[in-house]
Amino acid sequence: MAYPTRVGTAALAFSLVLAGCAQGTGSSGEAPEFSPDAPLEGELSIMGFGTGDEIGQVRYDRAVAALGDVDVSLSEGALDIQAFLSAVASGNPPDLVYASRDLIGSFASRGAVVPLDQCVEAEGIDVDAFDQAAVDQVTFAGSLYGVPEFNTVQVVMANAVLLSAAGVTVDDVDGSDRAAATAANDALTRQDGGRLSVIGVDPKLPEFLPLWSHALGTDLISADGRTAQLDDPAVLEALEWAIDLYDAQGGFSGVKSYRDSADAFGAGNQLATGALGAMPMEHWYVNVLNESSPDAPLTFSTVKDAEGEPIAYAGGSAWAVPTDAENPAAACAFARLMTETDAWTEAAQARADARAESGTLFTGLLTGNTEADQLIRDELVPADAPAPWSEAIEATYEANEHTFSLPANPADNAFKTAWQDAVNRVLNGQQEPAEALAQAQTEAQAALDDAWATWDER
Amino acid sequence: MTTPAVADRSGADEHPEEGIGAAVLGPPPQAPVLAPAGTSRERPRRRTGRIALRTAVVATLVLLTVVFIYPLVWLLSASFKPRSDVFDNRLIPKTFTVENYLTVWQEAPIALWLGNTLVVTALAAVTVTLTSALVAWGFAFYRFRGRGPLFTLVLATMMLPGAVTLIPTFLIWNQLGLVGTNVPLWAGNLFGSAFYIFLLRQFFLGLPRDPFEAAMLDGASSWTMFWRIALPLCKPAIVLTFLFEAQASWTDLMRPLIYLQDSDTFTIPRGLKALVDQFGTGGESQWEVVVTAGVLTTVPMILLFFLGQRYFVDGVATTGSKG
Amino acid sequence: MTAPSTLRTLGGTSRRRRPASTTRERRERRTALWFISPWIVGFLVFTAWPIIYSLYLSFTDYDVINDPQMVGLENYQRVLDDPKIALSLRNTLVYTALQVPAYVLVALTLALLLNEAGRSAGFFRTAFFLPKMTPPVAAGVLLLLLFNGQYGIVNEVLGWFGIDGPAWTTDPAWIKPGLVLLSLWSVGSSVIILLAALRDVPTELYDAARVDGAGYWRRTVSVTIPMISGALFFVVVINTIGAFQIFTEAYTAYFGAGSSSYSNDAALFYVIYLFQQGFEFLEMGYASAMAWLLFLIIMAVTAVQLVVSKRLVHYQGER
Repeated sequence: MAYPTRVGTAALAFSLVLAGCAQGTGSSGEAPEFSPDAPLEGELSIMGFGTGDEIGQVRYDRAVAALGDVDVSLSEGALDIQAFLSAVASGNPPDLVYASRDLIGSFASRGAVVPLDQCVEAEGIDVDAFDQAAVDQVTFAGSLYGVPEFNTVQVVMANAVLLSAAGVTVDDVDGSDRAAATAANDALTRQDGGRLSVIGVDPKLPEFLPLWSHALGTDLISADGRTAQLDDPAVLEALEWAIDLYDAQGGFSGVKSYRDSADAFGAGNQLATGALGAMPMEHWYVNVLNESSPDAPLTFSTVKDAEGEPIAYAGGSAWAVPTDAENPAAACAFARLMTETDAWTEAAQARADARAESGTLFTGLLTGNTEADQLIRDELVPADAPAPWSEAIEATYEANEHTFSLPANPADNAFKTAWQDAVNRVLNGQQEPAEALAQAQTEAQAALDDAWATWDER
Repeated sequence: MTTPAVADRSGADEHPEEGIGAAVLGPPPQAPVLAPAGTSRERPRRRTGRIALRTAVVATLVLLTVVFIYPLVWLLSASFKPRSDVFDNRLIPKTFTVENYLTVWQEAPIALWLGNTLVVTALAAVTVTLTSALVAWGFAFYRFRGRGPLFTLVLATMMLPGAVTLIPTFLIWNQLGLVGTNVPLWAGNLFGSAFYIFLLRQFFLGLPRDPFEAAMLDGASSWTMFWRIALPLCKPAIVLTFLFEAQASWTDLMRPLIYLQDSDTFTIPRGLKALVDQFGTGGESQWEVVVTAGVLTTVPMILLFFLGQRYFVDGVATTGSKG
Repeated sequence: MTAPSTLRTLGGTSRRRRPASTTRERRERRTALWFISPWIVGFLVFTAWPIIYSLYLSFTDYDVINDPQMVGLENYQRVLDDPKIALSLRNTLVYTALQVPAYVLVALTLALLLNEAGRSAGFFRTAFFLPKMTPPVAAGVLLLLLFNGQYGIVNEVLGWFGIDGPAWTTDPAWIKPGLVLLSLWSVGSSVIILLAALRDVPTELYDAARVDGAGYWRRTVSVTIPMISGALFFVVVINTIGAFQIFTEAYTAYFGAGSSSYSNDAALFYVIYLFQQGFEFLEMGYASAMAWLLFLIIMAVTAVQLVVSKRLVHYQGER
């Protein structure tokens, strides 16, 4: 048994040595250096960004050029959590990471990314230029952890012909008057031989529950991010109203199937074909509609709260610097270069040019940088766009001025899963709204308490 | 008539130390040294009956093939459609366009990625086939104390979800300094893989004993018995292992996702994900690109499989007598 | 009828009852371990440590970002209390119970059909294997499209037979059957394995059975199935292990990123929940505990299958 035992022992020894070395390295605990005079050199690795369109490409090229001596390497593609966590665990995280803003809270509270206050100072990043709601989303325990990029807002999009045929206007379906919306839904929806042929009003559950609950004056989580408010009566009311809209159309299942079966991104989209009355949707869909069905009879407005004020639930991405990044200074500089006003205006110019060439409309760009937004709107967005697109542009920018967001919290994902699961259970007919929200409240609060406790101990 | 098959149970009890391994797989049916399936002298009426049966069988198979292939054909046809038509459910595109392929070709170094994927797949498939065969042979041909429990251990490695060994495994490769290279994508196969060890052992157990006993009498070494007798007899299983692993390696996304960083090193699935994600920024889901990416991922493998199956000789029957 | 003496295989009753001499036994063991050594090395270096480490992690609180903190049995206690564990386990068990028999039956049927198809079998076999080439993302998307409750083609075809198809992708009662049907699409690899086994059945057994007057079914049950029972068993074991770990297609279809945050409790399978805990909620310690629970369950199920197999799996031996 000579050889095999020896081989076996050797392998075992080797693996033990490997095991000893291959422990995950937690944070080294040192704060990174962000000094204004530090020379920018070395390598910069970026994870989670894609340069697919001109908005990304133009800014990226500009930033890389400005960082002359720095060797920038980008791992193309949306951030994959497995890849990111593996890199962090091994002690070799990327220097700069591009993530959805609602992940920042979890990362920040666990020390995966560093506070950027020093970075902001050193690089002279103008935080005031950014949209407040966006900044709030990346602020945790008083510190800024991300540099916001992009803003996504909601716009009510509707088929004008269907609305007028049903005797309602877009004001009835923008959420400001729930009773009116319910009535409009009843008037708009149609069944054909037992199958849904026209969706009336689609409140887009579960993702837009925060929007509807905010419209009724309550957010899903308290402003300090510590207390879940999922069993608040306002939330319940919002949920029940939205569920009723689906029930009046034969149930969510039918609506979803019908919705899924149409080509949302082509000429066959349901607004164009008269298969959908009204829905709130992320603002970028305006571009899709403009490209694929420019002649459809559409009308647009902002979502409104119970007082008739426009509201929008802002989302977007942000640049963050992982702990133990090797080149935080360059990372910070890169983040500034990507999000500063000039970068945006250049990129928007490129897009406007491309649109002009192809004969389509430039409907604006929401950058998360309000200064840039204004400049782009003034200089590049046509003031004389044909209706309904001018309406759409108007609605988009108005929504952008009335954004709100949920504060960063250390249990982002668990919290979101808790309330989304609750809504899904109701949508699937497995639970009643009140029960579902009560359950979600318990789950969410437990997750929050747990996560906050870990943070407080640090 | 006593069917030998069901009569003999005693064999199992005679070797309790076989334990799990042998009991599990037992030997599959042996190699027939005799006539291959299907030939016999039959009366004409029986033959007509057989033809009718065969026609019915083929007809059913054709129908099933349609069901199986339809989604792939749908994918293929969708890749030739402009975005607006992707979901129109027509098999023949109303508007035929190769623009999606041009877009994908222009936007991404597909040829480079194809090359990378070929290298990784070839390395992965060759290494796993060879080493799994070696290990499987060890379990099939030899008897030793502890064989059963050791084989159970092999099986057990398939039972722990990969999600929790992902990070520890990553840490090992990181320690070896190999993150960022394509080595982690195939080098694990240098040590065999439980699935193929299981499968090949199965086929080895079904080999007839005679050629080996003859070889032993001739003084053949263990290596010769493996390399010159067992392997050739098991060619279909070897080819099968190769093709299965080639397919798995080709379509693997998870490993390139965490181990490859530089887009020049990407394999096709990783590259196409980056491509699709690109088109995802801004939220526009360009389905025609997604679908084209899907086709590009699968077509080379389909070609390979069609080529490979020519070498895939069925059964051991036609490999000659081993008397 | 006695089996011809050529029907002796390597797996059959051994050439000697017990190792004849200790020297021979030792030599045999050494040679065997030489052959097996690649796996042993690989196991010790690449497999054993991650497995042991994951066991260690199951006793810790680990968010991947910071070092693991020992918490003893807390994770396992939580596993017992967590209602989603029960839910996801139930989902997984139901799915496995549905999927494995269906899959094996379909694979066997197709293999039997192919066995009768003569030379054209090669083409069909390839056709059945092709779907495995589809990337899982595409498969998930196809599921949503083709099984769409209102306009998908599956329900359309059912409609031709007067059947009102269910909402495969939204009705909790039909989500698992829908996923089972999707899994049947990739039955090709098992078909190939079973077909190879079928081709190896010696024809004289069939001839003898036919001479005795046995019809097709009797032949199949008494000759074919027992003769391929080894391969059948392989297919059952492998697919059971796989079914317990269902993840990719279900995750893509029901939990993947997309503008819709719709998901369905009926599709929350164990490994999906595990993945969520580990990578989305950053509770890797808890996920590890979950993994080990699943490991034990799969081991137990496989052990039961083995015990059952000792009675049923044909074990060809010499007389």
